[in-house]
Amino acid sequence: MSTLGRASASVSEVIAEEGLLGDPVPLWKRAWGRLLRKRSGQVGLIMITTLILIAIFAPLIAPYGPEDVLIGVEDVSRREAPCVHILGCDSSRPQHLMGVDGNFRDAFSRVVYGTRVSLMIGLTTVTAALFFGVLLGSIAGYFGGLLDNLIMRVMDVILGFPSLLLAIAIVAVLGPGIQNALLAISIVTLPAYARVTRASVLSVKELDFVAATRVLGGSKWRILFRRILPNALTPIVVLATLGIATAILDAAGLSFLGLGAQPPTPEWGTMLGSERNQIFSAPHLVFFPGIAIMITVLGFNLLGDGLRDALDPRLNS
Amino acid sequence: MKYRLLGGLAVSALAAALAGPAVAFEGLSVSAGDCDYGGKLLSIEATAEHEVVFTMCKPDPAFEAKAAFTPFGIQPSEHIASAGVDGSIIENPIGTGPFSLESWNRGDSVILAANEDYWGGAPAFDQLVIRWNSEGAGRLNELLSGQVDQITNLSPDDFATVQNNPDLQFLPVANPNVMYLAMTNTFEPFNDVRVRQAIAMGIDRERIVNNFYPEGSQVPGYFTPCSLPNGCEGDPWYDFDPEAAKALLAEAGFPDGFDTAIYYRDVFRGYLPEPGVVAVELQTQLRDNLGINAEVVVMESGEFIDESTSGRLDGFYMLGWGADYPHVTNFLDYHFTRGTVQFGDAFPEIYESLLEASTIADAETAAPLYATANNAIRELVPMVPIAHGASASAALATLEGAHFRPFGAPRFEVDNPGKSTLVFMQNAEPISLYCADETDGESLAVCQQITETLLQYGLDSGETEPALATDCSANEDSTVWTCTLREGVTFHDGSAFDADDVVASWAAGIDASNPAHVGNTGSFDYYAYLWDGFMNVE
Repeated sequence: MSTLGRASASVSEVIAEEGLLGDPVPLWKRAWGRLLRKRSGQVGLIMITTLILIAIFAPLIAPYGPEDVLIGVEDVSRREAPCVHILGCDSSRPQHLMGVDGNFRDAFSRVVYGTRVSLMIGLTTVTAALFFGVLLGSIAGYFGGLLDNLIMRVMDVILGFPSLLLAIAIVAVLGPGIQNALLAISIVTLPAYARVTRASVLSVKELDFVAATRVLGGSKWRILFRRILPNALTPIVVLATLGIATAILDAAGLSFLGLGAQPPTPEWGTMLGSERNQIFSAPHLVFFPGIAIMITVLGFNLLGDGLRDALDPRLNS
Repeated sequence: MKYRLLGGLAVSALAAALAGPAVAFEGLSVSAGDCDYGGKLLSIEATAEHEVVFTMCKPDPAFEAKAAFTPFGIQPSEHIASAGVDGSIIENPIGTGPFSLESWNRGDSVILAANEDYWGGAPAFDQLVIRWNSEGAGRLNELLSGQVDQITNLSPDDFATVQNNPDLQFLPVANPNVMYLAMTNTFEPFNDVRVRQAIAMGIDRERIVNNFYPEGSQVPGYFTPCSLPNGCEGDPWYDFDPEAAKALLAEAGFPDGFDTAIYYRDVFRGYLPEPGVVAVELQTQLRDNLGINAEVVVMESGEFIDESTSGRLDGFYMLGWGADYPHVTNFLDYHFTRGTVQFGDAFPEIYESLLEASTIADAETAAPLYATANNAIRELVPMVPIAHGASASAALATLEGAHFRPFGAPRFEVDNPGKSTLVFMQNAEPISLYCADETDGESLAVCQQITETLLQYGLDSGETEPALATDCSANEDSTVWTCTLREGVTFHDGSAFDADDVVASWAAGIDASNPAHVGNTGSFDYYAYLWDGFMNVE
């Protein structure tokens, strides 16, 4: 056989050259195709893309700055109801799509700029938790033994507390503020990534190609990070997507309690918290930030669900 | 002559000759021995069964106004001697008031029963229920649904809702108050008077009052509201002048401002109905007018009060004061007298005039001294008075006699809900029901229904009226006050009220060596503050 004469060629090259498996389609490309075919994935993707565009183009979309006080600028009253000209609001009145808040600021502009803050919170916390969670989970899963025990018991302790309560406790110690809130949320979400990564690594490390790399003399770290981890990423990606939604929700909760973003930052939870007493007299000031949180969380959840289905190997056929 | 002991002191019994020939009255008394301790009270003596004499170390023209304040409520001497000593008095008050305590359901309500034997006439209903809800919207919702008959601290945004609702009564509260932005002069850069003056000129107070306070609120010309005699002597406060303020700040070495914080507690008060919103407005004005970047920091209420009144906050802080009793000393002396550290080191330019003025009974004679003090406050700017806030209560239209007094909680015995139970909803649960050792308004509101003071404030003014004393009169220089007590009054436990009860109740608060000087926390703040310290401190 011709392959015997070319010992230096890799197995995959040989398979490709011989056309043994037909035209190979990369996993991620196939997953992307499946994601686009799933209704939940489509809707989630559209929602998140829209939110990202709103965040990027906030200065073009928002008619005012998020901290602009309209006293003496426009004839508006405090906590004024939304005024939308095409819905019949007198055109001589300044248009405020979501009304005016308790500090005479345009609520729509603040909700738009709030998209930046919320996405930043979601992405930052998940990135941090992902990095450390995957690192710790990989080490625990691959090396096992005492290191595994030590890392996973610490994770178990963190998981033993309700996440939001633990986040509140951490912020209470570190002091209120968006940075401390991000840190707290990262810490409380970290164990989930560590556990999932460890489980994936445990299953992948027993596969033949890992053994083959080991036999060929690959170093432990190279095997872990170049061979095992890329093949264990699927559940982590799904978890991270869903985790962004949870992180945004937790951050909004902390801010609502006055422990997260501080005024005048246009953060949705802070906006909700500062106007919670006006739920009867100015319901629009709690309704719109609440809806914004709901849409964002829903978007990431739908995208996460779509990704889970798209990356499920049982659906490969 | 017999002697009785009270509070570990040798106390003189009073001769029967004073009380009458038939029965010798053996009255209690408490004394500091001399005036070296620095306080205002030298002694309190039960000179007859229904007469008590307060001897002062120095004249106190505000005696009557103070004696009408709820912390000086009277309980039976026997009850003080037992429950006051073991501490159970904080949950088990016994008074002479129109209502007696039936039960305190922690976390839910306090139930009071009408006192059928009340000397002022039994209330028109059987039961008074006091509940609480910290959210303004929640309180109004309870009122709208008819679950409660009256609520306190109406949110400013709900004023119009209540005024336009024919099923509700809008009840303005005329309690004099002030909200101020304070600075502690022991921290940089607030140790520089030019910085403080720049801030005084750089804040548009009119914009704050007009936009963030309910109708009826005022921009203060002085720290003390002008409704109190001598409150507004001297020169009025600075006009808003951001250019001059900027120049002064530059002269002080901060042409581009500086970084600091605005501390506050998120608690509704008549002087500050929306703390968070006003904090953000101040943050905006400081940034726009003076280039000062102030982070807004919310603190837990108790911690905030401790830190601010101890002078430990290194930035701005928003605090206020609602009058306890109708006298200028309640505003100026409390905040600016010698030894106060709330604004850092106290200013002699302010407190020397105050100390002298506080001993003068005649308001007109004292006026020049208060003018000097007010001018010094303006010059030295320990704080910036921001607003005299208007506040309101609301009640169902069916509640006859609904009111909210300028000083103290409503006197529910004059109300008639037209049913057997009246439900009142306030901001928070009482801390304890022994108000000799409480400063919290929600506790005082409940105590006031149970225990009574020698005098009481009127329904619509701060004028004092007889209560357990039919009269309190002073000697010529206001150093001796003699109170004649009401006869035929009984406590809720059936015991008769007499002068010993007055002495025992006051002694528990003012005498640090008294076995009943225990209370809830033991601080007895109002005794210490209103009478310049405790007697017999070891």
